[in-house]
Amino acid sequence: MRRLGPFVIEKDLVAPPARVLAVSTLALLLAFAAAGVIFWAYGVSPWLAYKTIVAETLFSKSGFAEAVRRAIPLLLAGVGLVLAFRGQFWNIGAEGQLLLGAVAASGVALFVHAPAAVELPLMFAAGFLAGGLWAALPAVLKLRLGVNDVLTTLMLNYVAAYLVGWLIHGPWRGKSAFGFAYSDRFPAGATLPLVPGTYVHWPTLLLALLAALLVWLALERTPWGYRVRVIGDNPEAARYAHIPLFGVVFAAALVSGGLAGLAGVGEVAGVHHRLLDAYQISLGYGYTAIIVAWLARGNPLGAILTALFMGVIFASGDVMKLALQMPFRVTDVFNGLILFFLISSERLLYYRVRLAQSGEEE
Amino acid sequence: MRKVFLTVLVVLLGVFGWAQGDKLKACWIYVGPVGDYGWSHAHDQGRIAAAKALPWLETQYVESVPEAQAEAYMDRLVKQGCQVIFATSFGYMDSVLAAAKKHPNVIFAHATGFKRAPNVATYMADFYQLYYLNGLMAGALTKSNKVGYVGAFPIPELKRHISAFALGVRAVNPDAKVLVRWIYEWYNPAAAKEATEALIADGADVFAFTEDSPTVIQVAAEKGLPSFSHYSPMQRFAPDYVVSGQLVHWDKIYIDFLSKVYAGVYTPKNLQNVDYWWLLPQGAVELGGKFGEPINPKFIPVLKAKVVDHPVFGKISVYDLVMKELALMKDDELAFDPFQGPVKDRHGKLRVPAGLRMTKQQLESMEWAAPGVAGPWPNEPK
Repeated sequence: MRRLGPFVIEKDLVAPPARVLAVSTLALLLAFAAAGVIFWAYGVSPWLAYKTIVAETLFSKSGFAEAVRRAIPLLLAGVGLVLAFRGQFWNIGAEGQLLLGAVAASGVALFVHAPAAVELPLMFAAGFLAGGLWAALPAVLKLRLGVNDVLTTLMLNYVAAYLVGWLIHGPWRGKSAFGFAYSDRFPAGATLPLVPGTYVHWPTLLLALLAALLVWLALERTPWGYRVRVIGDNPEAARYAHIPLFGVVFAAALVSGGLAGLAGVGEVAGVHHRLLDAYQISLGYGYTAIIVAWLARGNPLGAILTALFMGVIFASGDVMKLALQMPFRVTDVFNGLILFFLISSERLLYYRVRLAQSGEEE
Repeated sequence: MRKVFLTVLVVLLGVFGWAQGDKLKACWIYVGPVGDYGWSHAHDQGRIAAAKALPWLETQYVESVPEAQAEAYMDRLVKQGCQVIFATSFGYMDSVLAAAKKHPNVIFAHATGFKRAPNVATYMADFYQLYYLNGLMAGALTKSNKVGYVGAFPIPELKRHISAFALGVRAVNPDAKVLVRWIYEWYNPAAAKEATEALIADGADVFAFTEDSPTVIQVAAEKGLPSFSHYSPMQRFAPDYVVSGQLVHWDKIYIDFLSKVYAGVYTPKNLQNVDYWWLLPQGAVELGGKFGEPINPKFIPVLKAKVVDHPVFGKISVYDLVMKELALMKDDELAFDPFQGPVKDRHGKLRVPAGLRMTKQQLESMEWAAPGVAGPWPNEPK
């Protein structure tokens, strides 16, 4: 406790939503102010820059659609990460799980010729399974051998990227790709429909919203979700209560990877319509999803908002490059500042400020 | 010659503009950052040169556009008034075709692609002739008879370049080998460094490469070994060790294309067969590691001292051979070509019959390796 003029600052470990909102908003405003200085230094009026960004992302149909399109993979992978983090499975591997989902979906699209009504569900199922298994591997290593999950999940991202590279340079390289490293285009029955006039592949969007809802229900309203939460909050207590650690965490990891896998399916079936270079497939969605999950603070429904927010940030990069003619790195600077301020404001969440009562000492 | 004259006429018409007052807005989409000192940088230099040469031209560019975003970006560029859009990466191909369908009154030009439409042209400035000339010099300079090559990806473009390079090396030094290492990345200085060091350990003592940084040059120069610059004028990174290299002039294509658009020769309805495949005769590429200097003067004496017995020219120094063949290849009649048959692949199979040359399509889809190429060669035909 600390006295500061007429106020008292004291520790308060349970942060009410209003404070979370206030602190986060403050952090964002500070980040925007800092970025404004950079815009100004670059010779673009910050006021004009923000006006353009807001007008072109939130109030333009095509701009907003682009934000939503980016939010789709972020939401799917982000919801999965919320679940994993709640169960203290530190999954940094959404990127690789997303790629595996893309690989599995491409395999189905290229080599399994089912009727259209079966083809797409089959692709999503294969993507979920592949992403899930990619996460299950480090989960087993962690639960059975105590191998650090941060390291194994992270490292498997690179393995996944190399796997994609090997496939498109080798066995899956398309006959129509003229020697370049792409698979052939998916047949029409293996591509997702778009919202007319935009590039939003709506089936994946629906799936993502559904996933957020289902994971929230599972976490908050089922015995399984209760176990995940107990394990996450206090593993020792969970062990004492005979909660089957392996089964619960393994399932959470499987679902977490599976959802990232679905994001990968959406990207190849909805955007690219072929398997291509790993860095072109995902644009780092799997890593950004970590931020989405972290900002959502363990709430799957909150991830809907945070995924959209990060989608808008991604889309604002387009505006900065196109309408304001700024170099592409400015996007990274912008994103970096936002994260910097959000993360540094984290400590503030656990303090509250109130008016001092008379007679209170320092 | 008539073609050249017509081109000059159209360019002049463009420069002095009959339709004064009307501006033309052309926009560029780059796959990488303009500061990469490679592919996107070279295209941007072309854009800047075109904007300087054509007073009626207004330009805009977007850098680092991922393939997934290309179509949405083209929509926006059209909305911002772009009348001509240059998409400068192979990966944009399907997006370009889709965007062209949606905006039938906008002219699109796609670098390195092969799909065209009434409002989509394709263009490419290729280096294979230069690589052959670089090969002649490398073959003369190697003492260990091992020339190192750091390659980005095993795709036809590189296979064509490395094979032309190896044919050049073998033309002056029949015992030499070209050791190839792939790094599977267009820009990765760390991997390029590792590959160069590995090639040095294998005994290579002259280097050429395809990667968007001057790393290979710098690593080789540290060991005192000569190398050939790639894509940008990289001679300044090691002025004593860069022998020559390959330089590009995208501006030649851009100025020609835009002038023809401005003069009304190219419209959104007649581009179905417009495919620029520009080489030495059109000035789209230049020999050297520095503009205006085909061979680093420091290496001229040693190249002049090396005399070979050439089947056509008899006893001739490598320097004279390079200059002669450069002049022949600059000629509009294409008096010389590196892939002049008979050419066999490295397994002895005849690939170009005597008296023939490779067609553009064969060059673009080339998968075989020329004799002298050593190392892995994915998708090599049997």
